[in-house]
Amino acid sequence: MSCEIKQKERVGTINPIFTCQPAGAQYVSIGVKDCIGIVHGGQGCVMFVRLLISQHLKESFEIASSSLHEDGAVFGALNRVEEAVDVLLMRYPHVKIIPIITTCSTEVIGDDVDGVVIKLNEGLLQEKYAGREVHLIPIHTPSFVGSMVSGYDVAVRDFIRYFAKKDKTSEKINLITGWVNPGDVTALKHLLSEMQIEANVLFEIESFDSPLMPDGNSVSYGNTTIDDLTQTGNALGTIALNRYEGGKAAAFLEKEFDIPAIIGPTPIGIRNTDTFLQNLTRMTGKPIPESLVRERGIAIDALTDLTHLFFADKKVAIYGNPDLVIGLAEFCLDLEMKPVLLLLGDDNLAYPNDPRIQALKEKVDYEMEIITNADFWELENRIKNEGLELDLILGHSKGRFIAIDNNIPMVRVGFPTYDRAGLYRHPVVGYAGAIWLAEEIANTLFTDMEHKHNKEWILNVW
Amino acid sequence: MPYHEFECSKCIPERKKHAVVKGPGEDLTHALPLGYLNTIPGSISERGCAYCGAKHVIGTPMKDVIHLSHGPTGCTYDTWQTKRYISDNDNFQLKYTFASDVKEKHIVFGAEKVLKQNIIEAFKAFPDIKRMTIYQTCATALIGDDVDAIADEVMEEMPEVDIFVCNSPGFAGPSQSGGHHKINIAWIKKKVGTVEPKITSDYVINYVGEYNIQGDQEVMLDYFKRMGVQVLSTFTGNGSYDELKGMHRAHLNVLECARSAEYICNELKVKYGIPRLDIEGFGFEPLSSSLRKIGLFFGIEERAQAIIDEETARWKPELDWYKERLKGKKVCLWPGGSKLWHWAHVIHEEMGVEVVSVYTKFGHQGDMEKGIARCEEGALAVDDPNELEGLEAMMTLKPDVIFTGKRPGEVAKKIRVPYLNAHAYHNGPYKGYEGWVRFARDIYNAIYSPIHQLAHLDISKDEIPTGAGFQTAKMLSDVNLSEEVVSSSILRQYTGKYDSVSDLRQKTYPEFKQ
Amino acid sequence: MEDLKERIALLEDYIMKKCLWQFHSRAWDRKTQNDNILMKATQLLCDEPVGLETPLDRCYWADALSLTEGFQSRFEWLAALSKEEIKELMEGLKERIDFVTITGSLNAELTDPRY
Repeated sequence: MSCEIKQKERVGTINPIFTCQPAGAQYVSIGVKDCIGIVHGGQGCVMFVRLLISQHLKESFEIASSSLHEDGAVFGALNRVEEAVDVLLMRYPHVKIIPIITTCSTEVIGDDVDGVVIKLNEGLLQEKYAGREVHLIPIHTPSFVGSMVSGYDVAVRDFIRYFAKKDKTSEKINLITGWVNPGDVTALKHLLSEMQIEANVLFEIESFDSPLMPDGNSVSYGNTTIDDLTQTGNALGTIALNRYEGGKAAAFLEKEFDIPAIIGPTPIGIRNTDTFLQNLTRMTGKPIPESLVRERGIAIDALTDLTHLFFADKKVAIYGNPDLVIGLAEFCLDLEMKPVLLLLGDDNLAYPNDPRIQALKEKVDYEMEIITNADFWELENRIKNEGLELDLILGHSKGRFIAIDNNIPMVRVGFPTYDRAGLYRHPVVGYAGAIWLAEEIANTLFTDMEHKHNKEWILNVW
Repeated sequence: MPYHEFECSKCIPERKKHAVVKGPGEDLTHALPLGYLNTIPGSISERGCAYCGAKHVIGTPMKDVIHLSHGPTGCTYDTWQTKRYISDNDNFQLKYTFASDVKEKHIVFGAEKVLKQNIIEAFKAFPDIKRMTIYQTCATALIGDDVDAIADEVMEEMPEVDIFVCNSPGFAGPSQSGGHHKINIAWIKKKVGTVEPKITSDYVINYVGEYNIQGDQEVMLDYFKRMGVQVLSTFTGNGSYDELKGMHRAHLNVLECARSAEYICNELKVKYGIPRLDIEGFGFEPLSSSLRKIGLFFGIEERAQAIIDEETARWKPELDWYKERLKGKKVCLWPGGSKLWHWAHVIHEEMGVEVVSVYTKFGHQGDMEKGIARCEEGALAVDDPNELEGLEAMMTLKPDVIFTGKRPGEVAKKIRVPYLNAHAYHNGPYKGYEGWVRFARDIYNAIYSPIHQLAHLDISKDEIPTGAGFQTAKMLSDVNLSEEVVSSSILRQYTGKYDSVSDLRQKTYPEFKQ
Repeated sequence: MEDLKERIALLEDYIMKKCLWQFHSRAWDRKTQNDNILMKATQLLCDEPVGLETPLDRCYWADALSLTEGFQSRFEWLAALSKEEIKELMEGLKERIDFVTITGSLNAELTDPRY
């Protein structure tokens, strides 16, 4: 009876849980105002990521491609970066920031993106765009390293490394959210506001849930500004909620500007939210107000209605972004459920040493497996061929057919969740997130009980 | 036919020759947009890559195949679950996708060994599947992996399996079209003629350039079976790998999406003398004429006619119900390739809408020739449109509805233009007689959506009608219709089921004597 | 003469809007298609025998017959024309179609030697 952590044994991937690094960098880029990224590679690297993001958020975002074609693949394609920057600047007068995001192809051919940025800064930008504020930021995200998660982490660091300056003292803190939804940002900002803490929330993506206005606005974009990014260097401290999505940036700020960093925990569930609030207090000296005690009380009240009656001993498999998966697993344990299988979709060597995973390893009193470099076959094969019995799956939409085909109730959570309506609007973090998650899980289980006629009458007197 | 210069593209003058307006009295020899040229970097084009053209568009609809992409996982993940090409074997090809998961060490030391392990693992995981297609990606093309050699090696060691290799990395061409071409040519070169199919009819066709989007292929197959025509293979929607190896034995190639699959028809014509007949599954008249031509070719035109009569009688009154209500509505027909010409004329003729613009993401000049030939005067035709041009066109043309992809559809939504998915459809299938009514129904529902009407109101400024608690599409659409139309006892709204395809799979067909 | 031109224009418009056979991807294919289909269409309109020996012939004929049926149902004036007039009309039509789809075509891919 123990928790085991191991790498997937097969070398190949059957149904990937993650896409590759450039996608993570692109997701970061759309969170920044007046910014359009150029992905240096084939057009599919952009087209499909834009599609993926639009599937998830039901919005369209602008990301450009250097459109690598055959000639560029043979002779080098830096000229196409130069042209892309020029075309973008000419046609999008508001653009100030252009991250240049590499891919596997342009990393393999060895295009010197850093060199071309210097060349453009000294040439094109001075000659043609003198007086215009333009920032070109090379971001190296070869697809054969890490995953979309590390791509996100790298890009957050690179944006901050580029802009951060220390020129004054500030009472603000940096709050690096990690790869979250608009609903999460709203929930986090609510907690900060109740605590009366001023924070630089990175990235400011509440606006990803953008309205359809009578005047017909057309573009969705994030709202993190150049000033926000610059000010990160003056902050009182940094809290990076997700170790693997923003942890690098927090560490950078600490090293470069002596800004104290707290990395984690992902505030999923009551306990982790409590810790987050304690961390805020520790960093700012601001007390936790009565209003949050009350909110927490509402959450605990809601959870109490559900835990031992419905959740106890339910076996759960969880997959997706590592911080999310770990946070959800911890919350499930508090809810009396048994996460039996955690799938982390890349081969980050840091996972086994993650203190949260260590804690699971030491303290879980039933059989739990944590698979790194995992694919969906690790889940499906266990269900279909190895007798794994599950009561619930938690994860994103790409795993939907495992749930559908094996008749296992599933709550969509993470990125992407395109097969359910509006999930990006709901938080999984904070007390509000705890309520939403628990009730979503409960209602999903209830629907399944009714659908299968599995003690559905129990709900008569609940 | 003057070239059309977009305001937003004045600074990139090479774009000027990519758009024309069809002028009065002018023909295709006056002006034709350039096409299939390298994309302008940074223009925010909508194009995909040659890998996706090969793997995602043409390769993956083959239903009984392990589709393995040799590269990092991203290409595989990104082209997985973003299309609606179903199959009658429980959608194996939709549910499972395989990546060799090339990592940095493989880039440095070569990824052939890991590829071989992958192939063996994949067959082991799915012991019932004995066929595989391997798609090269940018990374593995650039490091020079010899995928064919590895595939041959495995086939030698595992004689029961068959592997097809498609070398079409993302950079191989200006758009996904490069990949369509590469996989067409590779299939005929490597696989056609390696199996002798069982011939069960005197009338044998390959159904080519059909991807079974929401069941299109199954609808058309139903007609072919009712005619007693044997469909030897479908390239590639709901198609079977081994059947496609026997393409050379067909009497006729019936081609739908010429953009993505005319290459293989042309090659089959040269190599095996199989005629190519371009047909259309969209629209009553084009479909009827297509079925009749196939009937004529085989001398069984009366069988085709029976279907045409039956289906027309069943569905025409429903199509006409919508036509009365769609007349004059302005449409931007902005698909990927072939639908710009499949639909340009027939939606005008059979649904009464006005096509004010056509565009093609990845088409060639040949597609533009067909598309422009088929639209009415004044239409704006754009090759390889980009984000700003699309917006400018919508702002100027003010369409009532736009047919395009999912993501551009979100752009349209924000400027309050309803969209229908031209690639994957809303509630398809759209082929066949019933399908065409479903399309008309979807257009109608989009244009006359009560919520869409509300999107135009500004509650802070406009006069807001407060008397009504609701509106229906019919209340909106029937306002200006004549009493005769409104109370017609012949015309009726769509009466089919939500799923119009699954029942076809249970159907039995008359036996025709050989 | 004006009359002839107008009539050719009507038939051309019909082909452009309803047919696909004239738009094969290469010049030589378009030539073969136009030659054979319009020849067979002329034969059909003139009640002359039509060769159906090969599968290719049958395919051209199917397109041609579908075309002439369309012509006849839409353009009633066709019935009043003599064989000579029909031949003149179809020759003129063939010239136009060849011009629009081949000799005058701006499609740069028509001469690509490979498919």
